[in-house]
Amino acid sequence: MDMLAIANLQKRFGDKSVLKGLDLSVPEHSVFGFIGKNGAGKTTTMKTILGLLKADGGEILVSGEKVVYGQTATNRHIGYLPDVPEFYPFMTAPEYLSFCGEITGMSRIEIKSRSNELLKLVGLGNEKHRIKGFSRGMKQRLGIAQALLNRPKLLICDEPTSALDPVGRKEILDILMAVREQTTVLFSTHILSDVERICTDVAFLNDGVVNIQGKLSDIKSQYRTEEYVLETGNEEELKLLMNVFAGLKKSGMNTASFRENDHTLFDILRFVTDNRIRLLKIERVEPTLETLFMEVVEK
Amino acid sequence: MKSLLAFMKKEWMEQVRSGRLLILVIIFILLGIMNPAVAKLTPWLLEMMADSLEASGMTVTAVTVSALDSWVQFFKNAPMGLIAFILLESSIFTKEYQSGTLVLALTKGLDRHKVVISKAIILTLFWTVCYWFCFTITFGYNTYFWDNSIAQNLFFSVICWWLFGLLVVALTVLFSTLSNSNTGVLAGTGCTVLVSYLIGLIPKAKEYLPTLLMDGNSLIYGTVEARSYVTAIYITVLLSVVCLAISFPVFNKKYL
Repeated sequence: MDMLAIANLQKRFGDKSVLKGLDLSVPEHSVFGFIGKNGAGKTTTMKTILGLLKADGGEILVSGEKVVYGQTATNRHIGYLPDVPEFYPFMTAPEYLSFCGEITGMSRIEIKSRSNELLKLVGLGNEKHRIKGFSRGMKQRLGIAQALLNRPKLLICDEPTSALDPVGRKEILDILMAVREQTTVLFSTHILSDVERICTDVAFLNDGVVNIQGKLSDIKSQYRTEEYVLETGNEEELKLLMNVFAGLKKSGMNTASFRENDHTLFDILRFVTDNRIRLLKIERVEPTLETLFMEVVEK
Repeated sequence: MKSLLAFMKKEWMEQVRSGRLLILVIIFILLGIMNPAVAKLTPWLLEMMADSLEASGMTVTAVTVSALDSWVQFFKNAPMGLIAFILLESSIFTKEYQSGTLVLALTKGLDRHKVVISKAIILTLFWTVCYWFCFTITFGYNTYFWDNSIAQNLFFSVICWWLFGLLVVALTVLFSTLSNSNTGVLAGTGCTVLVSYLIGLIPKAKEYLPTLLMDGNSLIYGTVEARSYVTAIYITVLLSVVCLAISFPVFNKKYL
């Protein structure tokens, strides 16, 4: 079953149309990367899922229940981490978590044990100060702790890693990876290496619609190009090759690339053996999310 | 219910830790002491100024003060207390809009109406406690120095003023759900009171207006009967309830 299903979602701000019929389905227990450049409508989509924005058209189902703007009962299934989480600065981290726990109706004992567990998980176990003095990374980590407090079925994170340094980013990604067993994670980002690191599924958002969506591995194989890169020992040897194979494109001092449908790999390898050309490297180019992303955005 | 209590606990914690509660209590204690103090000092002040007053043609004879003078001061200072109260508390909603702190609580499944209820309860509670604290202090001094029994309708008149304060609290809640800024809340609340005051200048309209309840002096001097305030009381209570009732749907549809 899909944890989250969005059909034909539309939203406009004034005369600017941000979402133009967005469709999205997030399968259960996936880590879903929601990718798009700045201003593509990622945050708008997430806020609409949470009932913080009113959609102009379309339908959102969270765990099979319809999302209603204003009084949003579906939020009990959701843990949300906004891009810049804001807490009550006069509270300490445990106080804030117990406030959140009481709101969601958890028992006192459960709050206590869950808070301790989560604060340890996010590395705030020994933090005694009020939130007033927290750094951005600390707030982000507390944000994850509060989002996970009531064991939500769906964890929504809005660019959780964008503002963090490499260490902070790794920590957050590790936490998201770790919670995958318990929940479904939907997170928006424009940092593609993060997606490759932890996501099972992805969707590319561009110009208000989702262009590509599916399992990361499927998408990668679907968009796999039959492209190879080879590197020779020196420039002369490369020239020798290029004289025979016109389809080779020079991409560096000793490197060139070619496509399988121009020349077969075996033809080239035979020529390499016959002429005793020293090969330093030959490899099949894996499609990166970056090339995919660029393709989607430029389409 | 549990979530309502949790949110109220948070409000209480905020009021205490930000020092707002302390400031309010100090203000209302000072006002409570000032009322009898000013009355007590009046003869002495006039005596001090007797010479200069005489030069301008006024003669000061022996001035006697009573509990009534202290109560007149009470009704004179009550608006100051209320204004200070509203100035301090007008940001109770808007601060949360601006910082975005409500977003997390609401996405945790807190019902929106509980936000309005808990803030309205806290404001009502604080106004009630501060106001009656101030009253008790003045009442105590007055009993000590003079005799409170010469003030007619005393309890009725202070209850009227308290009710007026409750209406202003309800207005603050309403304008807090309508406006996103502190200024909007103050302007909305202030203008509504001002309009009521201006309409009250028409003698026929006066008895229907909440601002009538501010006129405690006429009651304690016995120049008007308590009965003539009843209509205004009904209207004030009704308006307060209406203000709060409107706040809920407005807040439900508010973009946060």
